[in-house]
Amino acid sequence: MDCKLAVSLMHDYLDDDLSKEQQLELKTHMLSCPDCRMQFKELEQTDMLMYSLTHHTPSASLELTERIMNSLPKQKKQQLWLTWVKRHPAITAAAIFVLVMLFSTVSFWDQDTQLVVKGSDLDQVVIEGNTVIVPEGKSIAGNLTVENGKTQIYGDVQGNLTVIDGSLYQASTAHISGQVKSIDQAMDWIWYKITNMFSDVAYR
Amino acid sequence: MENIENRLTKLALKGDQRAFAEIVELYKDKIYHLAYRMLNNRHEAEDVVQETFLRVYKNLDRYDQNQKFSTWIYRIGTNLCIDRLRKRKPTYSLDAEMNDQEGMDGYSMIPSDNRTPESETLISETQQIIYEAIESLPAKYKSVMVLRYLQDLSLQEISDVLGMPVTTIKTRVHRGREFLRKKLEPKL
Repeated sequence: MDCKLAVSLMHDYLDDDLSKEQQLELKTHMLSCPDCRMQFKELEQTDMLMYSLTHHTPSASLELTERIMNSLPKQKKQQLWLTWVKRHPAITAAAIFVLVMLFSTVSFWDQDTQLVVKGSDLDQVVIEGNTVIVPEGKSIAGNLTVENGKTQIYGDVQGNLTVIDGSLYQASTAHISGQVKSIDQAMDWIWYKITNMFSDVAYR
Repeated sequence: MENIENRLTKLALKGDQRAFAEIVELYKDKIYHLAYRMLNNRHEAEDVVQETFLRVYKNLDRYDQNQKFSTWIYRIGTNLCIDRLRKRKPTYSLDAEMNDQEGMDGYSMIPSDNRTPESETLISETQQIIYEAIESLPAKYKSVMVLRYLQDLSLQEISDVLGMPVTTIKTRVHRGREFLRKKLEPKL
Protein backbone atom coordinates (compact mmCIF):
# COMPACT_ATOMS: atom_id res chain seq x y z
CA MET A 1 0.00 0.00 0.00
CA ASP A 2 1.37 3.40 -0.90
CA CYS A 3 1.13 6.33 1.48
CA LYS A 4 -1.33 8.28 -0.68
CA LEU A 5 -3.90 5.52 -0.49
CA ALA A 6 -3.18 5.13 3.21
CA VAL A 7 -4.02 8.81 3.85
CA SER A 8 -7.25 8.48 1.93
CA LEU A 9 -8.14 5.44 4.07
CA MET A 10 -7.31 7.40 7.22
CA HIS A 11 -9.91 9.99 6.28
CA ASP A 12 -12.45 7.29 5.53
CA TYR A 13 -11.71 5.80 8.93
CA LEU A 14 -12.35 9.14 10.61
CA ASP A 15 -15.60 9.38 8.66
CA ASP A 16 -16.62 5.96 10.05
CA ASP A 17 -16.61 4.73 6.51
CA LEU A 18 -13.98 1.98 6.43
CA SER A 19 -14.56 -1.74 6.42
CA LYS A 20 -12.88 -4.05 8.94
CA GLU A 21 -10.59 -5.55 6.30
CA GLN A 22 -9.45 -2.14 5.10
CA GLN A 23 -8.88 -1.03 8.67
CA LEU A 24 -6.56 -4.01 9.08
CA GLU A 25 -4.74 -3.17 5.86
CA LEU A 26 -4.26 0.41 7.01
CA LYS A 27 -2.99 -0.76 10.40
CA THR A 28 -0.47 -3.07 8.76
CA HIS A 29 0.76 -0.24 6.58
CA MET A 30 1.11 2.16 9.48
CA LEU A 31 3.09 -0.34 11.54
CA SER A 32 5.73 -0.27 8.84
CA CYS A 33 5.49 3.45 7.98
CA PRO A 34 6.37 6.00 10.72
CA ASP A 35 5.38 8.96 8.51
CA CYS A 36 1.85 7.68 8.08
CA ARG A 37 1.69 6.82 11.77
CA MET A 38 2.57 10.44 12.52
CA GLN A 39 0.04 11.81 10.07
CA PHE A 40 -2.70 9.58 11.39
CA LYS A 41 -2.02 10.78 14.92
CA GLU A 42 -2.23 14.38 13.80
CA LEU A 43 -5.44 13.82 11.88
CA GLU A 44 -7.01 12.04 14.81
CA GLN A 45 -6.10 14.92 17.12
CA THR A 46 -7.43 17.47 14.65
CA ASP A 47 -10.63 15.46 14.55
CA MET A 48 -10.91 15.44 18.34
CA LEU A 49 -10.15 19.14 18.62
CA MET A 50 -12.83 19.92 16.09
CA TYR A 51 -15.38 17.92 18.05
CA SER A 52 -14.40 19.65 21.27
CA LEU A 53 -15.29 22.98 19.66
CA THR A 54 -18.94 22.32 20.39
CA HIS A 55 -18.32 22.86 24.09
CA HIS A 56 -16.52 26.12 23.53
CA THR A 57 -18.99 27.80 21.27
CA PRO A 58 -21.00 30.49 23.02
CA SER A 59 -24.75 30.23 23.15
CA ALA A 60 -27.02 32.85 21.70
CA SER A 61 -28.19 35.63 23.95
CA LEU A 62 -31.16 34.78 26.12
CA GLU A 63 -33.51 37.36 24.71
CA LEU A 64 -32.94 36.14 21.15
CA THR A 65 -36.09 34.01 21.12
CA GLU A 66 -38.15 36.98 22.21
CA ARG A 67 -36.53 39.16 19.58
CA ILE A 68 -37.24 36.60 16.88
CA MET A 69 -40.85 36.22 17.95
CA ASN A 70 -41.31 39.99 17.94
CA SER A 71 -39.79 40.33 14.50
CA LEU A 72 -42.27 37.93 12.91
CA PRO A 73 -44.82 39.54 10.61
CA LYS A 74 -48.06 40.04 12.52
CA GLN A 75 -50.62 39.79 9.73
CA LYS A 76 -51.16 36.08 10.14
CA LYS A 77 -54.90 36.66 9.78
CA GLN A 78 -54.50 38.44 6.51
CA GLN A 79 -52.17 35.74 5.32
CA LEU A 80 -54.81 33.11 5.96
CA TRP A 81 -57.26 35.20 4.01
CA LEU A 82 -54.74 35.54 1.20
CA THR A 83 -54.09 31.82 1.03
CA TRP A 84 -57.84 31.22 0.81
CA VAL A 85 -58.03 33.66 -2.10
CA LYS A 86 -55.11 31.91 -3.81
CA ARG A 87 -56.81 28.55 -3.42
CA HIS A 88 -60.20 29.64 -4.74
CA PRO A 89 -59.59 32.03 -7.63
CA ALA A 90 -62.95 31.33 -9.32
CA ILE A 91 -65.04 31.99 -6.22
CA THR A 92 -63.02 35.10 -5.52
CA ALA A 93 -63.55 36.42 -9.03
CA ALA A 94 -67.29 35.70 -8.81
CA ALA A 95 -67.52 37.38 -5.41
CA ILE A 96 -65.70 40.46 -6.67
CA PHE A 97 -67.98 40.60 -9.73
CA VAL A 98 -71.10 40.42 -7.58
CA LEU A 99 -69.67 43.05 -5.27
CA VAL A 100 -68.88 45.43 -8.10
CA MET A 101 -72.31 44.91 -9.68
CA LEU A 102 -74.02 45.50 -6.36
CA PHE A 103 -71.98 48.59 -5.73
CA SER A 104 -72.69 50.08 -9.13
CA THR A 105 -76.43 49.37 -8.97
CA VAL A 106 -76.65 50.84 -5.50
CA SER A 107 -74.84 53.94 -6.63
CA PHE A 108 -77.10 54.20 -9.70
CA TRP A 109 -80.09 53.73 -7.47
CA ASP A 110 -79.08 56.67 -5.30
CA GLN A 111 -78.37 58.87 -8.29
CA ASP A 112 -81.79 58.49 -9.89
CA THR A 113 -83.96 60.93 -7.98
CA GLN A 114 -84.55 63.22 -10.93
CA LEU A 115 -87.54 62.91 -13.14
CA VAL A 116 -86.65 61.07 -16.30
CA VAL A 117 -89.02 60.67 -19.22
CA LYS A 118 -88.07 58.46 -22.10
CA GLY A 119 -90.14 57.78 -25.16
CA SER A 120 -90.54 58.34 -28.86
CA ASP A 121 -93.29 60.93 -29.00
CA LEU A 122 -92.39 63.26 -26.18
CA ASP A 123 -93.92 66.40 -27.67
CA GLN A 124 -97.35 64.87 -26.95
CA VAL A 125 -96.54 64.68 -23.26
CA VAL A 126 -97.21 67.44 -20.77
CA ILE A 127 -94.89 67.72 -17.79
CA GLU A 128 -96.05 69.70 -14.78
CA GLY A 129 -93.45 69.71 -12.07
CA ASN A 130 -93.20 66.10 -11.00
CA THR A 131 -96.11 64.90 -12.97
CA VAL A 132 -96.11 63.51 -16.47
CA ILE A 133 -99.44 63.77 -18.21
CA VAL A 134 -100.62 62.27 -21.47
CA PRO A 135 -103.67 64.47 -22.14
CA GLU A 136 -106.92 63.22 -23.46
CA GLY A 137 -107.06 62.90 -27.24
CA LYS A 138 -103.26 62.77 -27.58
CA SER A 139 -101.55 59.64 -28.78
CA ILE A 140 -98.01 58.44 -28.23
CA ALA A 141 -96.75 56.32 -31.08
CA GLY A 142 -94.15 54.30 -29.17
CA ASN A 143 -93.08 53.30 -25.69
CA LEU A 144 -93.06 55.60 -22.71
CA THR A 145 -90.87 55.30 -19.65
CA VAL A 146 -91.15 57.54 -16.60
CA GLU A 147 -88.73 57.45 -13.72
CA ASN A 148 -89.20 59.15 -10.36
CA GLY A 149 -92.42 60.85 -11.15
CA LYS A 150 -96.22 60.63 -11.15
CA THR A 151 -97.79 59.52 -14.37
CA GLN A 152 -101.32 60.33 -15.41
CA ILE A 153 -102.65 58.86 -18.59
CA TYR A 154 -105.75 60.32 -20.20
CA GLY A 155 -104.92 59.57 -23.80
CA ASP A 156 -103.41 56.82 -25.91
CA VAL A 157 -100.09 55.01 -25.55
CA GLN A 158 -99.48 52.67 -28.42
CA GLY A 159 -96.43 50.99 -26.95
CA ASN A 160 -95.40 49.78 -23.49
CA LEU A 161 -95.66 52.00 -20.46
CA THR A 162 -93.06 51.63 -17.73
CA VAL A 163 -93.24 53.53 -14.46
CA ILE A 164 -90.24 53.37 -12.17
CA ASP A 165 -90.40 54.63 -8.62
CA GLY A 166 -93.55 56.54 -9.10
CA SER A 167 -97.30 56.31 -9.21
CA LEU A 168 -99.52 55.63 -12.20
CA TYR A 169 -102.99 56.94 -12.73
CA GLN A 170 -105.01 55.71 -15.67
CA ALA A 171 -108.16 57.59 -16.52
CA SER A 172 -111.13 55.78 -17.98
CA THR A 173 -110.32 57.36 -21.32
CA ALA A 174 -106.79 55.99 -21.26
CA HIS A 175 -105.76 53.40 -23.72
CA ILE A 176 -102.46 51.59 -23.53
CA SER A 177 -101.78 49.09 -26.28
CA GLY A 178 -98.60 47.52 -24.84
CA GLN A 179 -97.70 46.26 -21.41
CA VAL A 180 -97.91 48.37 -18.30
CA LYS A 181 -95.06 47.90 -15.85
CA SER A 182 -94.70 49.50 -12.45
CA ILE A 183 -91.31 49.07 -10.87
CA ASP A 184 -90.86 50.13 -7.28
CA GLN A 185 -88.62 47.65 -5.62
CA ALA A 186 -84.89 47.38 -5.96
CA MET A 187 -84.92 43.81 -7.22
CA ASP A 188 -87.48 44.63 -9.90
CA TRP A 189 -85.49 47.63 -10.85
CA ILE A 190 -82.26 45.61 -11.15
CA TRP A 191 -84.05 43.03 -13.24
CA TYR A 192 -85.37 45.76 -15.46
CA LYS A 193 -81.89 47.23 -15.84
CA ILE A 194 -80.38 43.89 -16.72
CA THR A 195 -83.04 42.93 -19.27
CA ASN A 196 -82.79 46.42 -20.68
CA MET A 197 -79.04 46.04 -21.02
CA PHE A 198 -79.45 42.76 -22.88
CA SER A 199 -82.08 44.05 -25.20
CA ASP A 200 -79.96 47.11 -25.83
CA VAL A 201 -77.07 44.87 -26.75
CA ALA A 202 -79.29 42.71 -28.89
CA TYR A 203 -80.65 45.63 -30.91
CA ARG A 204 -77.36 47.34 -31.42
CA MET B 1 -45.27 8.35 15.15
CA GLU B 2 -44.83 11.89 14.02
CA ASN B 3 -41.75 13.69 15.16
CA ILE B 4 -41.94 16.81 17.27
CA GLU B 5 -40.88 19.19 14.52
CA ASN B 6 -43.65 18.07 12.21
CA ARG B 7 -46.24 18.47 14.93
CA LEU B 8 -44.92 21.90 15.83
CA THR B 9 -44.80 23.12 12.24
CA LYS B 10 -48.41 22.01 11.72
CA LEU B 11 -49.51 23.92 14.80
CA ALA B 12 -47.46 26.96 13.79
CA LEU B 13 -49.08 26.89 10.36
CA LYS B 14 -52.46 27.14 12.02
CA GLY B 15 -51.25 30.33 13.65
CA ASP B 16 -50.08 28.95 17.00
CA GLN B 17 -47.31 31.35 18.01
CA ARG B 18 -46.28 29.23 20.98
CA ALA B 19 -45.55 26.29 18.71
CA PHE B 20 -43.30 28.46 16.61
CA ALA B 21 -41.53 29.76 19.72
CA GLU B 22 -40.93 26.11 20.58
CA ILE B 23 -39.29 25.55 17.19
CA VAL B 24 -37.12 28.60 17.81
CA GLU B 25 -36.08 27.20 21.19
CA LEU B 26 -35.19 23.85 19.63
CA TYR B 27 -32.99 25.26 16.89
CA LYS B 28 -31.76 28.73 17.78
CA ASP B 29 -28.56 27.52 19.47
CA LYS B 30 -27.76 25.13 16.66
CA ILE B 31 -28.18 27.81 14.03
CA TYR B 32 -26.32 30.28 16.22
CA HIS B 33 -23.34 27.94 16.56
CA LEU B 34 -23.33 27.32 12.86
CA ALA B 35 -23.45 31.03 12.06
CA TYR B 36 -20.96 31.98 14.74
CA ARG B 37 -18.38 29.54 13.43
CA MET B 38 -19.06 30.47 9.83
CA LEU B 39 -18.89 34.23 10.37
CA ASN B 40 -16.82 34.51 13.56
CA ASN B 41 -18.93 37.40 14.78
CA ARG B 42 -21.62 37.44 17.45
CA HIS B 43 -23.65 40.23 15.95
CA GLU B 44 -23.79 38.79 12.50
CA ALA B 45 -24.48 35.33 13.89
CA GLU B 46 -27.54 36.60 15.76
CA ASP B 47 -28.71 38.43 12.66
CA VAL B 48 -28.45 35.22 10.69
CA VAL B 49 -30.40 33.31 13.34
CA GLN B 50 -33.14 35.91 13.24
CA GLU B 51 -33.25 35.92 9.45
CA THR B 52 -33.29 32.13 9.33
CA PHE B 53 -36.35 31.90 11.55
CA LEU B 54 -38.06 34.67 9.66
CA ARG B 55 -37.62 32.68 6.46
CA VAL B 56 -38.77 29.50 8.13
CA TYR B 57 -41.88 31.32 9.35
CA LYS B 58 -42.67 32.80 5.96
CA ASN B 59 -42.16 29.53 4.10
CA LEU B 60 -43.72 27.20 6.62
CA ASP B 61 -46.50 26.35 4.19
CA ARG B 62 -43.91 25.18 1.68
CA TYR B 63 -42.09 22.90 4.10
CA ASP B 64 -42.15 19.33 2.85
CA GLN B 65 -42.99 17.05 5.77
CA ASN B 66 -41.11 14.17 4.17
CA GLN B 67 -37.89 16.09 4.48
CA LYS B 68 -36.15 16.33 7.83
CA PHE B 69 -36.87 19.66 9.46
CA SER B 70 -33.25 19.99 10.56
CA THR B 71 -32.02 19.56 6.98
CA TRP B 72 -34.36 22.31 5.83
CA ILE B 73 -33.44 24.81 8.53
CA TYR B 74 -29.71 24.08 8.21
CA ARG B 75 -29.96 24.71 4.50
CA ILE B 76 -31.56 28.11 5.08
CA GLY B 77 -29.01 29.01 7.75
CA THR B 78 -26.00 27.82 5.76
CA ASN B 79 -27.10 29.67 2.64
CA LEU B 80 -27.54 32.88 4.60
CA CYS B 81 -24.03 32.50 6.04
CA ILE B 82 -22.49 31.77 2.66
CA ASP B 83 -24.27 34.81 1.21
CA ARG B 84 -22.80 36.98 3.93
CA LEU B 85 -19.32 35.59 3.44
CA ARG B 86 -19.60 36.30 -0.26
CA LYS B 87 -20.74 39.85 0.36
CA ARG B 88 -17.76 40.47 2.61
CA LYS B 89 -15.51 40.34 -0.40
CA PRO B 90 -13.62 42.42 -1.22
CA THR B 91 -12.15 42.44 2.26
CA TYR B 92 -10.51 45.48 3.63
CA SER B 93 -7.66 45.06 5.99
CA LEU B 94 -8.54 46.10 9.51
CA ASP B 95 -4.98 47.24 10.01
CA ALA B 96 -5.10 49.71 7.19
CA GLU B 97 -5.26 53.24 8.54
CA MET B 98 -8.18 55.28 7.31
CA ASN B 99 -7.46 58.34 5.28
CA ASP B 100 -9.91 60.79 6.73
CA GLN B 101 -9.43 60.17 10.40
CA GLU B 102 -5.99 60.17 11.89
CA GLY B 103 -5.07 57.30 14.10
CA MET B 104 -8.26 55.42 13.26
CA ASP B 105 -8.02 51.93 11.92
CA GLY B 106 -10.58 49.27 11.14
CA TYR B 107 -10.48 47.84 14.66
CA SER B 108 -11.78 51.04 16.21
CA MET B 109 -14.78 50.93 13.89
CA ILE B 110 -15.91 47.54 15.15
CA PRO B 111 -18.01 47.57 18.29
CA SER B 112 -15.92 45.81 20.86
CA ASP B 113 -16.96 42.26 21.23
CA ASN B 114 -15.75 41.54 24.72
CA ARG B 115 -17.97 38.58 25.37
CA THR B 116 -16.16 36.24 23.01
CA PRO B 117 -15.84 32.74 24.36
CA GLU B 118 -12.13 33.23 24.07
CA SER B 119 -12.28 35.69 26.93
CA GLU B 120 -15.06 34.02 28.89
CA THR B 121 -13.12 30.84 29.40
CA LEU B 122 -9.43 30.56 29.32
CA ILE B 123 -8.83 28.47 26.31
CA SER B 124 -5.73 26.81 25.17
CA GLU B 125 -3.49 28.14 22.49
CA THR B 126 -4.34 25.11 20.40
CA GLN B 127 -8.01 25.97 20.40
CA GLN B 128 -7.19 29.54 19.50
CA ILE B 129 -5.27 28.22 16.54
CA ILE B 130 -8.11 25.98 15.49
CA TYR B 131 -10.53 28.92 15.55
CA GLU B 132 -8.19 30.86 13.35
CA ALA B 133 -7.71 27.87 11.09
CA ILE B 134 -11.48 27.47 10.63
CA GLU B 135 -11.77 31.19 10.01
CA SER B 136 -9.18 30.95 7.24
CA LEU B 137 -10.93 28.05 5.49
CA PRO B 138 -12.55 28.93 2.16
CA ALA B 139 -16.35 29.14 2.49
CA LYS B 140 -17.08 25.89 0.67
CA TYR B 141 -14.90 23.94 3.08
CA LYS B 142 -15.96 25.95 6.08
CA SER B 143 -19.65 25.13 5.72
CA VAL B 144 -18.91 21.43 5.33
CA MET B 145 -16.55 21.30 8.31
CA VAL B 146 -18.88 23.26 10.58
CA LEU B 147 -21.83 21.04 9.69
CA ARG B 148 -19.71 17.93 10.13
CA TYR B 149 -18.13 18.75 13.46
CA LEU B 150 -20.25 21.35 15.19
CA GLN B 151 -23.62 20.05 14.16
CA ASP B 152 -22.45 16.45 14.09
CA LEU B 153 -24.19 15.75 10.80
CA SER B 154 -23.42 12.66 8.75
CA LEU B 155 -21.95 13.02 5.26
CA GLN B 156 -25.36 12.07 3.83
CA GLU B 157 -27.10 14.77 5.86
CA ILE B 158 -24.56 17.40 4.80
CA SER B 159 -25.12 16.38 1.20
CA ASP B 160 -28.89 16.89 1.73
CA VAL B 161 -28.37 20.28 3.33
CA LEU B 162 -26.03 21.61 0.69
CA GLY B 163 -27.67 19.81 -2.22
CA MET B 164 -24.40 18.26 -3.38
CA PRO B 165 -23.41 14.67 -4.01
CA VAL B 166 -21.99 12.75 -1.05
CA THR B 167 -18.72 12.19 -2.90
CA THR B 168 -18.17 15.95 -3.15
CA ILE B 169 -18.88 16.35 0.55
CA LYS B 170 -16.47 13.57 1.32
CA THR B 171 -13.68 15.19 -0.70
CA ARG B 172 -14.31 18.48 1.03
CA VAL B 173 -14.21 16.95 4.48
CA HIS B 174 -10.93 15.24 3.62
CA ARG B 175 -9.37 18.38 2.21
CA GLY B 176 -10.69 20.53 5.04
CA ARG B 177 -9.34 18.14 7.61
CA GLU B 178 -5.98 18.04 5.88
CA PHE B 179 -5.95 21.85 5.77
CA LEU B 180 -6.63 22.08 9.49
CA ARG B 181 -4.06 19.43 10.28
CA LYS B 182 -1.38 21.41 8.50
CA LYS B 183 -2.31 24.55 10.42
CA LEU B 184 -2.21 22.67 13.71
CA GLU B 185 0.83 20.57 12.91
CA PRO B 186 3.35 22.71 14.79
CA LYS B 187 1.20 22.51 17.93
CA LEU B 188 0.50 18.81 17.94
